[in-house]
Amino acid sequence: MPELRRDTIIGRWVIIAKERGNRPYDFVIEKDKTRGGFCPLCPGNEHTTPPEVLAYGRPDYSPNGPGWTLRVVPNKFPALVIEGDLDKRGEGIYDKMNGIGAHEVIIDTPKHDETIPMMSHGQLIQTFWAYRDRMVDLAQDSRFRYIIIFKNFGRAAGASLEHSHSQLIALPIVPHRIQEEIQSSLHYYEFKERCIFCDIIRQEKSQDIRIVCENNDFITICPFAPRSPFEMWLMPKRHQSSYISMDDNQFHSLTDLFLETMQRLDKALPGVPYNYMLHTSPLRIPFLEHYHWHIEILPKVTTMAGFEWGTGFYINPTPPEESAQFLREINLD
Amino acid sequence: MNKYKILVVDDEESIHLLYKEELEEEGYEVHSAMSGEDALKAFDAQEPDLVILDINMPGMDGIEVLRQMKQKKPRVPVILSSAYPEYKQDLASWASDDYIVKSFNLDDLKSSVRRNLAK
Repeated sequence: MPELRRDTIIGRWVIIAKERGNRPYDFVIEKDKTRGGFCPLCPGNEHTTPPEVLAYGRPDYSPNGPGWTLRVVPNKFPALVIEGDLDKRGEGIYDKMNGIGAHEVIIDTPKHDETIPMMSHGQLIQTFWAYRDRMVDLAQDSRFRYIIIFKNFGRAAGASLEHSHSQLIALPIVPHRIQEEIQSSLHYYEFKERCIFCDIIRQEKSQDIRIVCENNDFITICPFAPRSPFEMWLMPKRHQSSYISMDDNQFHSLTDLFLETMQRLDKALPGVPYNYMLHTSPLRIPFLEHYHWHIEILPKVTTMAGFEWGTGFYINPTPPEESAQFLREINLD
Repeated sequence: MNKYKILVVDDEESIHLLYKEELEEEGYEVHSAMSGEDALKAFDAQEPDLVILDINMPGMDGIEVLRQMKQKKPRVPVILSSAYPEYKQDLASWASDDYIVKSFNLDDLKSSVRRNLAK
């Protein structure tokens, strides 16, 4: 019989269609055809991007040329613009403001075909450093309230360029999805005086059926009510509400566990398109007792249709306990 | 003085008629291609100074054409022209020199053509 499960943080319901019990080999992953040709993100083509705002791996005196190991550039055709005032105003009962924001692209690697599971620790950690460095810089702009960082991998997940990149959007508002998470966590905290994410980690450790992998500082689980097969959340074990509060050791630990997590996913579902999103506390709020930053990884193996859009429910054919077991048992040697 | 050659790539006949009339008035020599495949042939044969390229076309789409054109001749400016602003979020469009949302008022397109030819 199918099972309705409720996400304990935001109360979202999912239907776990247990009887279908799709195993990884039941999912047909259509591999993207490599398109080849000109790539605007490759070294040597720096002139096709706006001037960089951050680069690692080459001296500062030669910006916007090759030799970099990671590069961050503003979006060439941004949906939101950086210049101007918000000019918040109303139109009757409706609210609006100018489309102010920052939209940047983090070019994770100079190698066109290098995906995250193929990266070295030394390469991947730069991506995590870049997230922090750009957040710290953009937080100085008082117009911005929130920075969302995400990655689309594969055409089905919204990425048309195979060259590995992630994106950052600084927004003048805290998105509803984040507000919902923070408010629900606060509600739980007011009731129990504990962080709900810390409690999830405690329960997952004691049940030990949805853990994918862990190290001293981080844990990856398949959440109790996942939106898609093989959805994973990576969280710091120690309570921490802001991504930028991480120390050097944590960056290394995060890189190790994220790499392992993505390698497990890639072995389970080779080349699967996915999105990941970094959820952290709003800007200039360094510590919240009730909130816990984390990364949500969503493989794109199911489709959202009328039922999902109309209800906010998700139908997931693979129980997270099975996903976690499969991912955990993968041999990475 | 030699006229600048512009290749207009679009699967809509009406767009060709509109662009040809307006761009010829500006003194440009205008060539047409109705598909991605034809565009790549015309790109080699006509050696245009600038390309105006639609994205949504049957067969080879504009993004694929763009990548191949830039692979062959990166210095030839290519302006993407689409009815859909959301393709701007497609990072593959970054290989282009400009992105203009289609409109019957061609002022933005014409000023982009002038700007890119002056580079």
